[in-house]
Amino acid sequence: MGETTFMGVPREKIDWCPAIDYDKCDFCMECDEFCPHRVFERRDDEERKLVVAHPQNCVVFCRACAKTCGPDALSFPDKKETTAAIKRMREEAGGDEG
Amino acid sequence: MKGERKAVLPCNGLDKEAGALAREAALKLAEEGASLVCPVLFQRNPKRFEKELDAGELLVIDGCKTGCASKLAKEHGLKLAGRLNVTEMLKEVGIKGGKKPVPDPEHLARLLAALESVGEMEEESARETPSGLFAGDVEMSEFMEGKFIFKVPRDGYFFNENDCWARVEGKRARLGVSDYVQQSASDMVFFEPPALGAELEQFDDAGSLESTKTALDIISPVGGKVVAINEELVEAPELINEDPYGRGWAVEVELADFESDRELLMDCGAYLAYLKEKVKKENEERYG
Repeated sequence: MGETTFMGVPREKIDWCPAIDYDKCDFCMECDEFCPHRVFERRDDEERKLVVAHPQNCVVFCRACAKTCGPDALSFPDKKETTAAIKRMREEAGGDEG
Repeated sequence: MKGERKAVLPCNGLDKEAGALAREAALKLAEEGASLVCPVLFQRNPKRFEKELDAGELLVIDGCKTGCASKLAKEHGLKLAGRLNVTEMLKEVGIKGGKKPVPDPEHLARLLAALESVGEMEEESARETPSGLFAGDVEMSEFMEGKFIFKVPRDGYFFNENDCWARVEGKRARLGVSDYVQQSASDMVFFEPPALGAELEQFDDAGSLESTKTALDIISPVGGKVVAINEELVEAPELINEDPYGRGWAVEVELADFESDRELLMDCGAYLAYLKEKVKKENEERYG
């Protein structure tokens, strides 16, 4: 599969994925059904019946699942901070990427 | 909305107060002459409301983000003229709905007041684009991958890796989604614009789109203030499929600091190369 990058930075170095607030989540599974990138995973035998199994699959800056969530149980990192972090990492890697 | 016959479809959910408030809002609009579309009856017998839905512009009122009324409308291929979300409207005035499906009188009063001002805001039309800007045909490059042809403009556009573009002319930019997005998403059915006057940072949401297949946010390649919204697109979201780089523009902004934003964007040539790689990889992953 090879290394995935986003804006010239290795995807694994970018902190971007949904966080589930289990106090609010009612395990309706809408987010899992909605997400085309398979970020979530059902765990029927566990107490936490839904988890963020593949955070790296999440498209950076996309928050569509959070908008779909009825109980408002999904949240994302701050976009401005994420952008700043990406900028920093690009500079550290040295200008000529991408 | 524009003085035409209105039809209103509330969710009328019984799981919390928001659903009861959606019902009350719909009843108020019905008092003022809108046709009330009962969600339960519509579910069982859509033909019952054929006349009302053909005659008027449909306003959907969802209690919460689950969006049952919106989903019902979407399942039946109904075109939305407008959409309200009770929980969001109350949040804006600092109110949180209760758990019981009974409308609190104060919450209802605040909601109806907010409804009034939504009506007023809609009368405000988008500010005019200075003449001469964004005029003329855009020349395209094309490439083929599998049986699909993808188009990318030759010049004048800047892209982010979320496949959204900014067409920059002077201090202004129009924003939209690329041909790749409209092909992947399929038929667009709803465009929810950002607020006029909203100050966007680079990579903020500049409105959202819904298609028959999915929902996605427009991720702004640039920072700036929203000075115009494509009303034509609100009426006809399918313009994105027909002309994603031209008439399918979504939002116009007054740029804040384009020179800085530009460092994180791809010009047309770079995006063409990026997209070629992307669809090639997708094809390989799909078909091996």
